[in-house]
Amino acid sequence: MKQSTNEMIKRIRFHGRGGQGMKTASRIVGTASFLEGFFVQDSPLYGAERRGAPMVAFTRLSKEPILERGIIVSPDINMIADETLLNDQTANVFQGTWEGTVTIVNTHYPASHVRNVYGIVGEIVTLDITEIALNVIGESVLSSTAAAVVCKLTGMITESSLEEAVTRELSSINLKKELVEKNVQAALTCFDRIPETHPHYFESIKEDKKDEIVRLEYADPCLGSPSVYAKGTTKLKKTGNWRLFKPVIDHEKCSRCYTCFVYCPHSCISIDEEGYPQIDYDNCKGCLICFCECPKKVISKDREVRTW
Amino acid sequence: MVKEMLTGNSAAAWGARLSEVDYVPAFPITPQTEIIETLSQWINDGVMNAKFTNMDSEHSMITAAGTAAATGARVFSATSSQGLLYGYEMLYNVTGWRVPLVLINVSRGLSAPITLEPDHNDILSARDTGFVQIHAATCQEILDTILMAYRIAEDKRVLLPVLINMDGFYLSFTREPVEIPDKEEVSKFLPEYNPKHAFFKASNPMSQGVAVLGGSVYSYFKYQVHLASLNVLTVHDEVAGDFKRIFGRSYSAIESFKMDDADYVIIMTNSFTIKGKAAVTKFRKNGLKAGLLRLRLIRPFPSKELRTLLNGKKAVAVIDQNISPGSGGILFNDITTALYHEPDRPEVILSFIGGLGGKDISHAEFNHIIEEMGKSMKTGVVPETQLLYTKGDLEQINNLLNIAGKTSGGLGGIEELKD
Repeated sequence: MKQSTNEMIKRIRFHGRGGQGMKTASRIVGTASFLEGFFVQDSPLYGAERRGAPMVAFTRLSKEPILERGIIVSPDINMIADETLLNDQTANVFQGTWEGTVTIVNTHYPASHVRNVYGIVGEIVTLDITEIALNVIGESVLSSTAAAVVCKLTGMITESSLEEAVTRELSSINLKKELVEKNVQAALTCFDRIPETHPHYFESIKEDKKDEIVRLEYADPCLGSPSVYAKGTTKLKKTGNWRLFKPVIDHEKCSRCYTCFVYCPHSCISIDEEGYPQIDYDNCKGCLICFCECPKKVISKDREVRTW
Repeated sequence: MVKEMLTGNSAAAWGARLSEVDYVPAFPITPQTEIIETLSQWINDGVMNAKFTNMDSEHSMITAAGTAAATGARVFSATSSQGLLYGYEMLYNVTGWRVPLVLINVSRGLSAPITLEPDHNDILSARDTGFVQIHAATCQEILDTILMAYRIAEDKRVLLPVLINMDGFYLSFTREPVEIPDKEEVSKFLPEYNPKHAFFKASNPMSQGVAVLGGSVYSYFKYQVHLASLNVLTVHDEVAGDFKRIFGRSYSAIESFKMDDADYVIIMTNSFTIKGKAAVTKFRKNGLKAGLLRLRLIRPFPSKELRTLLNGKKAVAVIDQNISPGSGGILFNDITTALYHEPDRPEVILSFIGGLGGKDISHAEFNHIIEEMGKSMKTGVVPETQLLYTKGDLEQINNLLNIAGKTSGGLGGIEELKD
């Protein structure tokens, strides 16, 4: 069965990392839609919560009562607020995207580049909302900027509802008035940067996913019990791209006291043959405990330029 | 009345606040929810006039709740999944004391293995405790059901505690527009609690929950709990009538959706019902006479109402979002028992397990249910309980088994890891 996207409901999925503000972004869009008088749902899903770990949040808005709940498998609007998630298989940011999906990527690259590298289906919009947030708010928290881009792309939410929603949501988490005002300013900047109507947004069609029911058979307990036999599976999950700041050891000044080696909570620091600590940047999450603990202060922190 | 975007957790906290509860004992650590966080904040800020106490476990929490209710206080508390099980022993005690407290459970699949999303083995484990059980499907219904629950629990024909269920994540973390009634309207519906049968006072000594040491005495009191629970069938409808008159929203023991001329009926509970409603709407568009029932009152079990709704229907499919290993779906048994002696009962009743640990129930799965109902009608052969599990799900688990070092098709690779 084919379905036109010009239906009464818009399904929005937000991908980000814990701490970036995607839960709040989904709520800002939810409140703005509520203020416009739509039926609304918003919800975050962050599992065992950790700062930096991939998370998702969802908003549904509709002119009619919503006959759905929970995870949005196939989004109409897909906000990817952290470009390093594009490569993360477990984050699975393109799940269920189709010709009618508008994907937004927070990056300084043009849309055509993102499309070429990832073969994204549907429309794609890019905007460096981190840069806007850093310039206007002074922090790389993306709740209001991401929400503003999404609100504009729905074509159903006005600037004034967005402004009111940013103010309500950020005030409710006790943000200072001055910071709320900066967020409103950043949101309105993003709202202006997205073109009025998106060309193909209302035209595509999507197919219902076909799947069949299978019968589960009894499995040998080696398979049928929730245990893990493989060794070293933690290494399969590279966490280096969680970093905002990279710790760098100045080996010329390092006294080889091993304090950083002892304190690293993720065992990402090893000692080389000459006795110097070496950081495994594939997995270092940038917690900066080594930076804080180094007694000689020979570890610096460098702002990381995200590349993919 | 104001309308706001509230999570299920916030709606539950508002329900307790508007019910003007006197006492909230709480175990504050995982798997506790924002319900308790919100209430403790309100009580601390002085916008809610109640006593809040942190307890060392859910076992102590339910003990405190029951004993406080036995002094005549209006008591509220909340827990989730493993927490409910940790306090399990005391559930039987407080029903034996005949105290009218209200407890919320936020459903989550039980460990092991650990998961975060809902199914109902947690709440249904309390099925036989004597607690009245009402399962909610929207954030509004959570708030409304708490108000109704105190009326039911405190009615002298009942005097039993009430457990209200809401699904974790699907309701607890999900915000949607909720009407928060005015305090004045609520006080018209739910007056102050004036206990007539149990009240600990220094000036008026009494014993509560005494030992009986004998089967005949025990049987007498135990059966009283059963009779009190059955009275809820009447009391619920009276309370729902008053609720509708004052607040305009209507609730029945069983919610009906497109049932009038339905031949094929799907029975579900809790928030996943919305997926069933969407499927039924789609089936109707294709000309199939499908309908849906949502069991809202689980204890007492609304057998009579169910018979009225299902007699004369062609086929019924029960989706249990729970599993009793070695038996099958828990509610399927209650439903078939209620219909057994009806001469006009549905021709076939099928049993499915779906949504365990929050697994989605896709339209492909609803399609399968309808196909299976049709097949059974034709052949007269009703299949055993089936798990709703798709090829896509199986591909995913096979991929994960590989990553975990468990190769399918024999245990090659596993042997060498054993040394």
